[in-house]
This record gives sequence, structure tokens and C-alpha cells, in this order.
Amino acid sequence: MKNLTYKDVNKDVLRPLFTPDYAYLGVLGATLTVLVVTGLCWLYQMVYGLGVAGYHPPVFWGVYITTFVFWIGIGHAGTLISAVLFLTRSRWRTGVYRAAEAMTIFAVMTAALFPAIHVGRAWYAYWLFPYPNQRQLWQNFKSPLMWDVFAVSTYFTVSTIFFAIGLVPDIASVRDSTTGFTKKLYGVMAMGWRGTDRQWHHYMAAYGFFAAIATPLVLSVHSVVSWDFAMADTPGWHSTIFPPYFVAGAIFSGCAMVITLMLPLSILFKLEDYIHVWHFEHLAKLCVFTGGILTYAYGTEYYVAWYSDNQYEWGTFMDRVYGKYWWVFAVMVFCNCIAPLVWWFKKVRTNYVGLFVVSLIINVGMWFERFNIIASSLAHNFDPAGWVYYYPTWVEGGILVMSFAWFFLWFLLFVKIMPSVAIAEVKEAMRPPLKYEPEHAAK
Amino acid sequence: MSVAVPVELAAAASPVKAVYAHMDCLMTGIVNLKKAGFTDLMVMTPMPRHEVEEAVYEGEPSPVRWFTLCGGLFGGTMVFSLMSLTHANWPMILPGGKPVVSVPPFMVITFEGTVLWAALGTLVGLLLNCRLPATDLPEEACDPRFSSDCFGIVLERVGANDAAQIRHILEHSGAIEVTGGVAASPGAVANHGDSHHG
Repeated sequence: MKNLTYKDVNKDVLRPLFTPDYAYLGVLGATLTVLVVTGLCWLYQMVYGLGVAGYHPPVFWGVYITTFVFWIGIGHAGTLISAVLFLTRSRWRTGVYRAAEAMTIFAVMTAALFPAIHVGRAWYAYWLFPYPNQRQLWQNFKSPLMWDVFAVSTYFTVSTIFFAIGLVPDIASVRDSTTGFTKKLYGVMAMGWRGTDRQWHHYMAAYGFFAAIATPLVLSVHSVVSWDFAMADTPGWHSTIFPPYFVAGAIFSGCAMVITLMLPLSILFKLEDYIHVWHFEHLAKLCVFTGGILTYAYGTEYYVAWYSDNQYEWGTFMDRVYGKYWWVFAVMVFCNCIAPLVWWFKKVRTNYVGLFVVSLIINVGMWFERFNIIASSLAHNFDPAGWVYYYPTWVEGGILVMSFAWFFLWFLLFVKIMPSVAIAEVKEAMRPPLKYEPEHAAK
Repeated sequence: MSVAVPVELAAAASPVKAVYAHMDCLMTGIVNLKKAGFTDLMVMTPMPRHEVEEAVYEGEPSPVRWFTLCGGLFGGTMVFSLMSLTHANWPMILPGGKPVVSVPPFMVITFEGTVLWAALGTLVGLLLNCRLPATDLPEEACDPRFSSDCFGIVLERVGANDAAQIRHILEHSGAIEVTGGVAASPGAVANHGDSHHG
């Protein structure tokens, strides 16, 4: 790594902005096309109703809720990296936290589509929010679904504020390195930021509070999402282990997605001096740790189901392994428990191919984990007469692909209009330029 | 039409700006200015530096924390009240022996409301204390080098008698550029005033 100066940081991080090359435009165009085409699947569902999804009584939660939980989980890593690692003063967060935070926001924006998709009549999604209405009906605040509305909207708002505040000093750097209309636009967004002692004094105090506020949210959001299931008495769901199990899974999948996104970003935008293999190695270690918790949780679930001597619970868990959804279970175990084990070897977790391939496998595995929990439990409920085999239709598949296109579109736009590495924080982590060496100055 | 020149205006000099390329020189400049009694200074850095904060604020905590606390208390109370009052307002209350206002299930949303409003309070505290959007900063503070690779000190209100001493301190602390500190002549100020008021 070369010896960087403050000027180099500005130059390197701001270089990829505003100048899209053909490759970037090609990827952007392809993503937009996929979004429009698969978006038609949602339109089709709105016109013809939820019957076009593969629902079959008693399974009315399927791909949409699975994908909702998947994206909420992806959104965990950003806040973990930006807030928790800020409070613990982990130096390796500096290079990756900006893009991870952006990923969080776009993942939650993607997840937020799914309650609306899932309820069918998306235009009535506002019924979820508390407002005085003329029918004299108020929401039931004792319901975990209402808790989820508040948890997700709070998480989204706090993460967005945290992200936007973190961006302000860097937007000022963009303003100062551009001209004309761009300068004016970024000048408005920078809100007159000049890096004065007064601004930094209150900024750093506020930033610490934002980090402290966001930290319990990392734990609470997926705990609340897990209660959507654990508070019901459905076999396979009704478990006290769900909150820590879901939180570990969320961090696991989120860190994997950070690797999936940032590896190509660092290479394509030539940001290897700021996001290098050292960062990815730490993320891989975090995945190995949380993957271990997840594997332990899978085992505990089976132990508790067996030890409880509850025939419904044990029946559901056996059905997951030996029933029609055996392949979902196998994919989940392979991707989440076995594949990440290769990251115990330093050679693999410091190799770009090894990192990228395993991160993709984890992403696939975590989607199937949620599908395994949701679909297999509902399809094998208390009454054997109601046992069914739910499988997604092409409409649900299309909407799943749409969610990825929507997420990647936002991320692609972000990397071209905002600095994807935190300029001020990189400078803060660097040794400041000194005229005299400390020992000389002391004399 | 001539206008009487106020004494303090006549005795003022233009703001002084010093640009630094090195952190240790900046610190020397701040410390020496404060030692000489010039405490009304503005320091610009491209990133947060604790030593600058310590030298300028001397451990004085930011009041942003009170905004966070008040926001959190307001949010928690407001959301708990919202849930309690709306549940009590249902047209048919059939609790079946269970409490209408039940604390354990309400704790989840109370927690979320506390966190949400604490964050909003912090945001308001940040904007008010940083005075953002900042539209009243002196022109001298708006140097693009301060967001890139240089540090700066600006003294906005400089008495004509102090300008020379301030410039001397800044120049000898290792600043790569010192500008301003030129005393405005009474005639010039009078004309300036004339053009505004005349």
C-alpha cells in the first residue's frame, strides 16, 4: 500500500464519481431492464389478485415473507459495522462502513416493499400505521406484527439519519472539488459544512449518541422480526431461541452481502488502498463466528424439539429433514453450516475468489433458511389433513428477482453520486502530517 | 452625506486567516493564541481531531446530549400514552380477564419510540448547536483546502491594535499562509457606511 496523503484520499475516493464508463452504464441498464420486466409480475399480481401466488391453505406466508426477512437480515451488517464497531473503536470499519451503511438502507427499502406485496392490495398498506380513523378502529399494539411495523420503521429512520449525518463532511469535500451546478447541488446538501471546531465538536458528540442509539436497534430489529413467528404457537416457530438465532443469522448474512458487494466495488473503482483484503478477512471472521452461533442454534432447535416430547414440534422438525422440503433443509445446512468452514483457513479467507464464492453461497443459504422456517412449518401444521406442499409460482419468483434488481439499482446509483468510502474517517485514522517528529518537538 | 464612525468599527481590522499544512503547527498556533488571550477563534480541519477539540473546548461537553435525553423521554412517554389511550378507546372492550393496558407487550413499541425520538432529538440538537445550515460563516472559513489537506485558523473580530500581534503569532507557529488583519482606515469605514446608509 502506498503512503497516502490527505490529498490522495480526496482524489482517490472522489475519482469514480460522476463519470460513468460503458461497463457501468451497461450494468445499470441491465439492472433497470430486469427491474421493469420483473416489476410487471407485481403489476400482474395486483390486477389478478393473490391467487397468482402459490398459496394453498394453510400456507399463506411464503416467498414474500421469506424475502422480507432475508432483506431485513441483510440490513443488519451496515449498522453493526457503523455503530457497534464505532463504539468498540475497531479500526477496520473505516474502509467499509459507508458502503455497508448504504447497503443497510437499500436492503431495508427493499424489505419494506414486501409487506405491501404480501397483503395483495398494496394501496391499503397504510392501514398498518396508527392514525385516527372514522371507523373507530385502532391497531392492536399487542400484536407482534405491529411491533414489527414500529421496529422496521424506527430502524430505517435511525439508519438513514446516521448515514446522512456521516455523509455531510464528505459531501462538503465533493462540493469543494467540483464546479458549476454540481457544486451548488452538493453545497445545498453539505448545509454549509466547513469543518469548523464548533461543527466537529457537536458532530462527534452527536455521532457517538447515534452509534449508541443504533446499537440496541441492531439487536432489537431482528428479535422483533423473529417474534412474528415465535409468538405464534405454530410448531417449528414457537421457540425462545428465535431472537438470538435470528440476530446471529442477520449479521451472518449481512456481512456476507458486504463482501459480495464491496469486493467488486473495490476492484472496479480501484479503491484497494482503502478497502483491502484485511477488511474482507475481518468480515469473513465475523461470518465464521456468527455462522457458528447459527449452527449451534440449529442443533439446539432439534434438541429442544426432541427433549420437549411434543409430537407436533418433533413431527415438524423431522418433516423438515425427511419430508418434501428435505432439499431446502439440505441447501440451508450446506450453505450456512458447512461452506463457511473453509474460511477457517487463512488462505481461503484472504483470497478474493474464495471470499466472493463463499459469500454468495451464504446469501443463498440464508434465503433458504427463512424459507425452511416459514414454509415447512405452515405446510406441516397440527392437522395432518391440512398438510400441503407449497412451492412458489413464476410470479413469486419474478418478484423475488425484482427485489434484487431494486436493491442493486440503488446501490449502483449510490456509488456514482456519493463517496463510497468515508473520506473524513479515513483521514482521522491516518497519521496527521507533522512538521517536526514528536521527539524533536519535545526538545 | 457623511456618517459618524462608531469607535469600535473604526478600531476593527479585517479578519485574519492562517492556513497550515501540519498538525503540530496548527496546535502551536491555537495554544499560543489562547495564551495571548485571543480565545475567539475558529479552527478548520478536514477531519475531527481530539487534540483540537481539547485545546479549543477544554473538556466542555456538547449540550447535544440533553437533546438526546429529552427526545428519548418524550418518545417513550408519547408512544406508551398513544398505545394506552387508543386501547382504552376501543368501542368494545372485551379483555377476557386480561389488562387492557398491559405493560410487557407495550414495552417493545415503547422501546422503539424511545430510540426513534432520541435519534430525532439528537438530530435537532446537532443542527441547532452546529448552526446548520451554516449561512453566516465568514468568507475566510470557506477555503476548499480545509476539506482537503490543510488546516486553518480564522479570527473574525480583530481589533486594529491586536492585528499585528495575531499575525506575528500565526506566522511564527508555522502557518504556510497568513492573510487579513489589515486595519480599515476611518475614512474607508465612513465611506463604506456612507454607501450603505446614504
